[in-house]
Amino acid sequence: MFEPFEFQFMVRAMLAASIVGALTASIGVFVVLRRLSYIGHGLAHSIFGGAVVSFVAGINFYVGATIWGVLTVFLINGASRRRQISGDAAVGIITTSAFAVGVLLISRNRTFTRDFEAALFGEILGITDTDLIVTAVALAAIGLALFTFWKQLVFTTFDQDVAGAYGVPIRTVEGVFSLALAATVIASLQVLGVTLIAAALVIPPVAARLLTDSFSRMFAIAVVLGTLTGFFGAYLSWFVDSSSGATIVLLQAAVFVVALSYAGARSRYRRRGVRETERIAGMERLLN
Amino acid sequence: MVQRDLDTDTAVAHGPPPDRGSPEPLVSLDGVTVGYEDTVVLRDANLSIRRGEFIGVVGPSGSGKTSLLRTFLGQIDRFAGEVILHERAPGEAVRIGYVPQVETVDWNFPITVEQVVMQGRWREMGWRPWANRRDRSLAREVLERLSIDDLRDRSIRALSGGQQQRVFLGRALIGDPDLLLLDEPTSGVDIKTRHEVMHLLGELNRAGTSIVLTTHDLNAVASHLPRLIAMGDTRIIADGGPADVLNQTVLREAYGAEMLVLRRGNRLYVVEHPDDEETMPLGVVPLGAPAPPFEVASSERPE
Repeated sequence: MFEPFEFQFMVRAMLAASIVGALTASIGVFVVLRRLSYIGHGLAHSIFGGAVVSFVAGINFYVGATIWGVLTVFLINGASRRRQISGDAAVGIITTSAFAVGVLLISRNRTFTRDFEAALFGEILGITDTDLIVTAVALAAIGLALFTFWKQLVFTTFDQDVAGAYGVPIRTVEGVFSLALAATVIASLQVLGVTLIAAALVIPPVAARLLTDSFSRMFAIAVVLGTLTGFFGAYLSWFVDSSSGATIVLLQAAVFVVALSYAGARSRYRRRGVRETERIAGMERLLN
Repeated sequence: MVQRDLDTDTAVAHGPPPDRGSPEPLVSLDGVTVGYEDTVVLRDANLSIRRGEFIGVVGPSGSGKTSLLRTFLGQIDRFAGEVILHERAPGEAVRIGYVPQVETVDWNFPITVEQVVMQGRWREMGWRPWANRRDRSLAREVLERLSIDDLRDRSIRALSGGQQQRVFLGRALIGDPDLLLLDEPTSGVDIKTRHEVMHLLGELNRAGTSIVLTTHDLNAVASHLPRLIAMGDTRIIADGGPADVLNQTVLREAYGAEMLVLRRGNRLYVVEHPDDEETMPLGVVPLGAPAPPFEVASSERPE
């Protein structure tokens, strides 16, 4: 049971997975409520392109991917400001093109195809101390950004137009949100892989939404679910001998099913309660 | 002939005319033209809103009603002219509260009544993501004023139409606005809610808040207001009392349709489909027609 804790790389892996779980869930709450679930998927693919470009250019992955990611979000924001281009279309065009750059470079240099498997599917056992530090710094920076811009982020998520009318600096808030999202994706790439990041961004917040009608509680529940599923996903992957990213996401999916069942049962229970109250009230009316 | 009393047909309950107080201007538009990218949505607008006024903006969809509100808020690119926000006190600009159409609100968003109201204080809360005692006390004050204090922990989804409208009024009022802008506050609500909302706005206006609202409801809402602005094709066509705005010439220009304007006492009634016998109100006087008794058909009615 404690076997994974005997190995330094597994301790690092579980720690990184917990941080990534918390990160993706916290940003994911805003992603889900803004109905931008698609953007996480697109951004992860785009940053994969950045990773390939960094590799080919001999630049550090985090530096290259950050530049690529920031460039992508600013291009998306810029394009979607045009009335003729909707937000999802902008995401589709820009992230797919950025991903295609990576695919093109790989297809021309097939020798390093294997090097990018980790980025595509996640390779948690390869987490280095540097990766762990980068992930922890990302968590601290994003935590600080969320704390500082909390009210503005919630307001713009609820109703961007009206938030603008109340003087919220929309462009600044959107810029902060986009950068935080890009940083989350970059920090999560090694643990979850391009293909699974979108799921980690969406599942814990949606499960949390099923359990509460309060924004702050939804945020707290999502972060707890993200952290726990990250930790236990990495832990279980040791015993199952499976991909860490896939194990984490499947664990989150299981939590979602439990939350969905609970919400359904609660709703049925409440309906039954109302029916019972009405039945008793009806009988009382008859007796009186 | 069945006599139908129009005054009982309305949802608007107004007390005495608002005390206009000092006639100081709050916001003025001086030859303002605004738009998005290359599309002009409001042309050459000139008007001034004074303290204590209650103004209705009428006109067909796309005529520029919402754009006029957004111009006051500085939310549209200005191509020409000047939007002047006067001072409420030396060195302090006039405060504007905004209430959006409830139809545009995401009712599934996980947020409580108090959290929505607190959004109106986001600036005053500074760096704090949480509300302190003063914020909560102000929110409670506003919610009590709107008679929804007992709902403060309720999710907005679980509210009735009138309560929902009050929540968004609360968000605007917590900022202590001099001017309240409401985008179609009676659109998509039932008669009872419309009555509640207009009654509440009347009270706020009498307490000194200037109000500008947009509406499609010419009879139950607009005809009761002391000042109306008619919009048509991105321009202000008329600005004045109900008799200046609710007349056939202005309505024809604004809506591009023939409408019949009838009068009963001091009340005006606009018949939007005068050809339809069933919509003709009975017991009203066509504007400019001789004194009653009369028949509904009149020379002003289009052939």
